[in-house]
Amino acid sequence: MITEFISMNGYGLYVWFSFSIVVISCAIVYYKTRKTLKKYEKEFLVELEALSLEEKNKALRTSKVAQQILAANSKIN
Amino acid sequence: MFKFFSSSNVYFLIQNLIKFINSIFFLVLVVGLTFALVLSPPDYIQGDSVRIMYVHVPSAWIGLACFSFISLFSVLNFIFKIKNFYFINKSIAPIGLLFTCLAIVTGSLWGQPTWGTWWAWDARLTSMLVLMLFYVFYILVFKIIKNENLIIKISSIVAIVGSINLPIIKYSVEWWSTLHQPASIKITGSSAIHSSMLLPLMTMLFVFLLYAALIFLMKYKTEIIRIKKKNIKRL
Repeated sequence: MITEFISMNGYGLYVWFSFSIVVISCAIVYYKTRKTLKKYEKEFLVELEALSLEEKNKALRTSKVAQQILAANSKIN
Repeated sequence: MFKFFSSSNVYFLIQNLIKFINSIFFLVLVVGLTFALVLSPPDYIQGDSVRIMYVHVPSAWIGLACFSFISLFSVLNFIFKIKNFYFINKSIAPIGLLFTCLAIVTGSLWGQPTWGTWWAWDARLTSMLVLMLFYVFYILVFKIIKNENLIIKISSIVAIVGSINLPIIKYSVEWWSTLHQPASIKITGSSAIHSSMLLPLMTMLFVFLLYAALIFLMKYKTEIIRIKKKNIKRL
């Protein structure tokens, strides 16, 4: 039964190859997108940390995005 | 209304949507794959090779839909000069390219057992290849050109010119005699596909749409951070 399922009446190679290509390419794109997002978040935090205390407080007061990135990152750490 | 669409509110919404999609995606994927590979019946002519349809058709639809959105937002950006459309388009384009490439590759893998050839220069296949090239040109504009205003102008022109290809793809199977079969699913009128195959197809479409939304949201979030990072001293 398992062999029948894998062979798919002789079409197994085409079917499994199609599904594999889709899954692998989608996984690669997901991984690369996530990696870029994390890289930008990290770079943003580094630049935020490099600011003087006054500038940093001002940035956090005026930007909710900065607050959220900082909060999300402190949760992870 | 406009306050609701401020970048901080959008960012918060994006974060929650990403979390939500991540939490349900694996379950929906397992259901979709079970329907596509196990529960759906083989076709009476094409046999089990018909299962390729469950990845080929949603890929092609999303590839087309992404370029339609890009064209629409490019026109709106041209008229109203709303910069947000530029970032939306920049985030959509790689998703469209991915799914167009997948539609071409899986179509080729479906073509070999059913038509006896990997590729034919028929109207549907060629017009899909042209769409892929338009995606490549569109993304190259963002990679090569550095001036943002020039990027907006050139990418909009590429998108608007490329949109001429969309009806050609849609009606190619009716206008010309092609190897590719005519549409089995119609928005208006009855579909020539049995419910035992329509349900797995719609489930797989939902899986692909969730994936596309997830990648779009992650890319759009990256764009927001990139802008904030550029302006960090001015915050």
